[in-house]
Amino acid sequence: MKIQVGRNELLSALQSVIGVVERRQTLPVLGNFLLDVADDVLTVTGTDLEMELIGRARVQNLAPGRTTVPARKLFDICRGLPEGAELTLEAAADKVTVRSGKSRFTLSSLRADEFPSMGAAAGGVAVTLKRAELKLLLERTQFAMAQQDVRYYLNGLLIDVSPKRLRAVATDGHRLAFSELVRDIGVTESMQAILPRKSIIELSRLLDNTDEEVSLVIAPGQAMVDIDSVKLTTKTIDGRFPDYERVIPENGDKRVTADRETLRRALARTAILSNEKFRGVRLLLDEGVLKLQTHNPEHEEAEEEIEVSYSGAAMEIGFNVNYLLDALGVMAAQEVALELKNAESSGLLHEAGDASSKYVIMPMRL
Amino acid sequence: MRKIIHVDMDAFYASVEQRDDPQLRGRPVVVAWRGQRSVVCAASYEARRYGIRSAMPAVRAERLCPDAVFVAPDFNRYRAVSRAVREIMLRHTDLVEPLSLDEAYLDVTDNKTGLPTATRVAKAIREQIRTELSLTASAGVAPNKFLAKIASDWNKPDGLFVIRPEEVDAFMPTLPVTRLPGVGKVTGERLAAIGVATCGDLQRVPLAELEQRFGRYGARLHQLSQGIDHSTVKPDRPTQSVSAEDTFREDLPLSQLAPHIEALADKAWAASRKTARIGRTVVLKLKTADFRILTRSHTPPTPPDTLAAFRDIALNLRERVELDPETRYRLVGVGLGNFTDPGHPDAVAEPQSELRF
Repeated sequence: MKIQVGRNELLSALQSVIGVVERRQTLPVLGNFLLDVADDVLTVTGTDLEMELIGRARVQNLAPGRTTVPARKLFDICRGLPEGAELTLEAAADKVTVRSGKSRFTLSSLRADEFPSMGAAAGGVAVTLKRAELKLLLERTQFAMAQQDVRYYLNGLLIDVSPKRLRAVATDGHRLAFSELVRDIGVTESMQAILPRKSIIELSRLLDNTDEEVSLVIAPGQAMVDIDSVKLTTKTIDGRFPDYERVIPENGDKRVTADRETLRRALARTAILSNEKFRGVRLLLDEGVLKLQTHNPEHEEAEEEIEVSYSGAAMEIGFNVNYLLDALGVMAAQEVALELKNAESSGLLHEAGDASSKYVIMPMRL
Repeated sequence: MRKIIHVDMDAFYASVEQRDDPQLRGRPVVVAWRGQRSVVCAASYEARRYGIRSAMPAVRAERLCPDAVFVAPDFNRYRAVSRAVREIMLRHTDLVEPLSLDEAYLDVTDNKTGLPTATRVAKAIREQIRTELSLTASAGVAPNKFLAKIASDWNKPDGLFVIRPEEVDAFMPTLPVTRLPGVGKVTGERLAAIGVATCGDLQRVPLAELEQRFGRYGARLHQLSQGIDHSTVKPDRPTQSVSAEDTFREDLPLSQLAPHIEALADKAWAASRKTARIGRTVVLKLKTADFRILTRSHTPPTPPDTLAAFRDIALNLRERVELDPETRYRLVGVGLGNFTDPGHPDAVAEPQSELRF
């Protein structure tokens, strides 16, 4: 294998794939990229056995072939070379030599046929949508995914496909984020899959905010996303996602609307003096007014009062302030609505006049 | 020379039930929750005649004796009775080491009542339990803990058996090795394979060979076979952890461990119910075929409060085992640790409430 390639072209391919390569691997070959040259295209594959990323670069093909190289080293070398530099990569026996101008790097290589491939699962449901649409669904929900929870099915994001709608749902058991895109997405059957946390983080990093297409295939045990220059394949989490519709409250009779940014800033300030472990904030509602209170074990206290639109009975409820801030941070509308029932029931937060993204937050006893 | 008594209440939970409900007396009583997966917590002696034993699946007990009366366990009541038993013991010595709600070791080398012999102390304790609590206990008296425990079992129920220091040498040779602490099914089979069935057989195996075959435990086996046990009575240690483990007949892959983990979780959970303290950390322990030990643990925000919750966490901990799926395991254990007293701030439920899926 021998190629000539522009540094920027190669770097952008490596950049899109490097995220899957773990810093510590269980198998040495997982620390490598698989390089495969055919025609004028170099494909770069990285995998952690759960997820596989394939990037592409246009190259001058001097000799086709396949090899593997230490991923992070090649990435760092490429990044370190000056912009606009030209490189040649040449594989020989168990070495790969990278040359650029007066620089030369000889990297050790592992056999290409030892490189694990995920393969493509048969069947499944294919959805095509705009990258900005998918990116929005993920941004609106991914922060609520659990992290290393023993309820392993929560360490990911549910993609729920039905004719005429696509939903993303994430929960860590304390709060839940829901976002849906309602339009004909060209499918006739329903399908659900839980995509692992790492794949969601990579995916939202790879997606841009354009109207270009992205295709998403959900097959049994596997999901594939094709973003033109990059292909992501991931195993899905084999488990049953909780019935999320059951926990989205509907009968909150106490409805507050507030200016999103005013509320967010007031919460962010009171958060400074909340208990570092529990992060509780007390919300005191009365006609037209929302009072926020926090205190910590050092007996420091914060209190904020903001004007809201509210005409129900006075009430008090506690929340983890981070959960409120996370949700407010991803919304866009000027005004947000918070629907409550009582101090023991969950609160529902959404953009005023738009319930396509919903945030369910369980209260905290304060 | 120390004087140790092991007191073991007879069919404790079942006896408490029979004491408190006259209609149950003389009838086969099984203390167990109803349910496909529940196990027998205790069986009265009437029920034991049908072959019903503790830790047996409740459905099997029902099959063995369809007429048995099933009673749901009431650990609060058992704990209260256990405290009363403990108070009786404490009249005689401060060195009381409870093993569970129904068993304790007592060091009566110096006793508080001035009775001249350990045998007299044991008789007094049994008598006081009978008259004050209307329950029976078996007791074993011996120069050390392990012999005292064997002795309490010797004339069960409602029995007393004494092994005097000068009788130890004559007592040991015929004792089956399976009666030694630490000798379970697996070690028992390994000993049988080298022709050792009794402690007499074991005494004839050179120490070096035992150490070579059983490692550090070999030395302990050597001592136990001669009736030697230097462990002391540790008064009232609060429960720190409970666990149950099982060595398989053949090594198994992770994918086949679920039924074992469930059964062990049931056992560990039953044991954890014997203390008023609250366990907060669930532990899964595995030993690979090549004897590597790994443990995975999880401390949920609120301590697991049902068997189902405990079992689920134990099962889910498998996900955190990142060894090759082909790896085979020779042992699995399930435990509950990090015990705190109720009322301790750590035992208080976390203020954050959970979504109710």
